[in-house]
Amino acid sequence: MYNWLTDCVFYVAAALLVVSSLLVITSRNPVRSVLFLVLCFFCSSILWMLLEAEFLALVLIFVYVGAVMTLFLFVVMMLHIDLEKLKTNFVRYLPIGALIVLGMIGLMGYIIAPEHFSLLAPAHHGADYSNIKELGTALYTHYVYPFELAAVILIVAIISAISLAHRGPRGRKSQDVPSQLNIQRNDRVRLVDVPAEKKE
Amino acid sequence: MLENYFSVLIFILIGVAMGVAPLVLGRLVAPHRPDKEKNSPYECGFDAFEDARLPFDVRFYLVALLFIIFDLETAFFFPWAVVLDKIGWFGFGAMMIFLGLLVIGFIYEWKKGALEWE
Amino acid sequence: MTLTAYLIIGAILFGISLAGIVLNRKNLIVLLMCIELMLLAVNTNFVAFSHFLGDNAGEVFVFFILTVAAAEAAIGLAILMVLYRKRHTINVDDLNTLKG
Repeated sequence: MYNWLTDCVFYVAAALLVVSSLLVITSRNPVRSVLFLVLCFFCSSILWMLLEAEFLALVLIFVYVGAVMTLFLFVVMMLHIDLEKLKTNFVRYLPIGALIVLGMIGLMGYIIAPEHFSLLAPAHHGADYSNIKELGTALYTHYVYPFELAAVILIVAIISAISLAHRGPRGRKSQDVPSQLNIQRNDRVRLVDVPAEKKE
Repeated sequence: MLENYFSVLIFILIGVAMGVAPLVLGRLVAPHRPDKEKNSPYECGFDAFEDARLPFDVRFYLVALLFIIFDLETAFFFPWAVVLDKIGWFGFGAMMIFLGLLVIGFIYEWKKGALEWE
Repeated sequence: MTLTAYLIIGAILFGISLAGIVLNRKNLIVLLMCIELMLLAVNTNFVAFSHFLGDNAGEVFVFFILTVAAAEAAIGLAILMVLYRKRHTINVDDLNTLKG
C-alpha cells in the first residue's frame, strides 16, 4: 500500500513536472511561462517531499512560489514587451533545441544508468522523524561559516537591489523635517543694501 | 515520515477536485457555442482601445525585491528555532551575527528611503 | 522509487531548460526563468543523493543554493529593470554595446 501510493504520487508529479517545464519554454506569453514555472516548483516540491526533505520542500513553496515567482510576475507585467519581435526565430531554433535536449538526456541517461548508481532505497523514517531537526543540527554546527556567508550574500543582494532599483524620492511632496530644523537665518532672509534714491 | 503528509495529499486532491469539477461540469452541461465575436475582448461596444493588462507600478517591485531577502532570512530561522536547545549558545551567537548583518542591510534600506511610499 | 528515477527526472529537467535557453535566446526574462529551472534540476539531484546516501550535507547545500539563487533572481531582475528603463528593450540581440 505504502509503496504503491508513493510510486503513484511520484509518477503523477514527475509527469506534471516535465509537461509544465516544456510549457514554460514553449508558451508565447511570458505570464503563462511564469505560471507554469510555479507549477514546476510545486511538482518538484512534491518530489522532494517524497525524498523526505520536508523542510526544503516547504521552503521551495514559500520562498520560490511565494516570493521569487511573484517578483517575476511583477516584472513581466511591468514591462511592455513586444512579443512578436522576441519570438521570431523560435521555429528556426527548434531542431537544434530538440537535438540538444535529446543528446543531453541520452548522455545523462547513459551515465546514470542503474548499473552505475545502484543505491538501495533507504528505510523509510518513522512518524517521529524530523527532517528540520537534522538539517538544523548540521547547519548550525558543521556549516556555521557558510551560514554566515549566506548573510553576507543576502546583504549584498539588499544593497545591490536598492542601488539598482531605487530611484530616490521623485516628485514626492513630503516634509523633510531635519532640513527644516537646520535652516539658518541666512538661507531664508537676504538683506540687501539698497542705496537710497535722491529725491528729484 | 511520509504518513504524516497523507492528510495533506488528500487535502490537495480534494482541493484540486473542488476547483476542477465546476469547470468540467460547466463545460459539459452548459451550452458551448463560441464564435469570433463572442471571444473578442469587449469594451462597451467598441473594439478594445488598449491591452487589458495594465502596466504595473514600479514601487511594488522594490517591495517584492526586499521581501524575497527577508523571506529567506525567516527560512533560516525555522531550523534554528527547532534545534536551539541542542546547539546552545554557539548557535545562538551564530544566529545573532547573521541577524546583525541583516539588520545592517535593513538600516541601510531604511535610511535610503526604500521603504517609503511616495 | 529508485535513485535512477529521480536522476532521470533531473536530467530531463536540465535538458529542457537548456533547450529553453537555446530556443528563447531573445527574451531575457525567459532566460532567467530557464536558469531557475536548471537550478531546480540540480537541486533535485542533490536532494535525491542526500536521501539515498543518508547524508545531510546535500540538503544543507540545497538550502544554500536556494539562498544564492533567490539573491541572483533578485539582482538579475533589478538589472533587467534598469536595462529596460534605459534601453526600452529586453531583446538580447539589442544589447550589444560592449561588442567590439
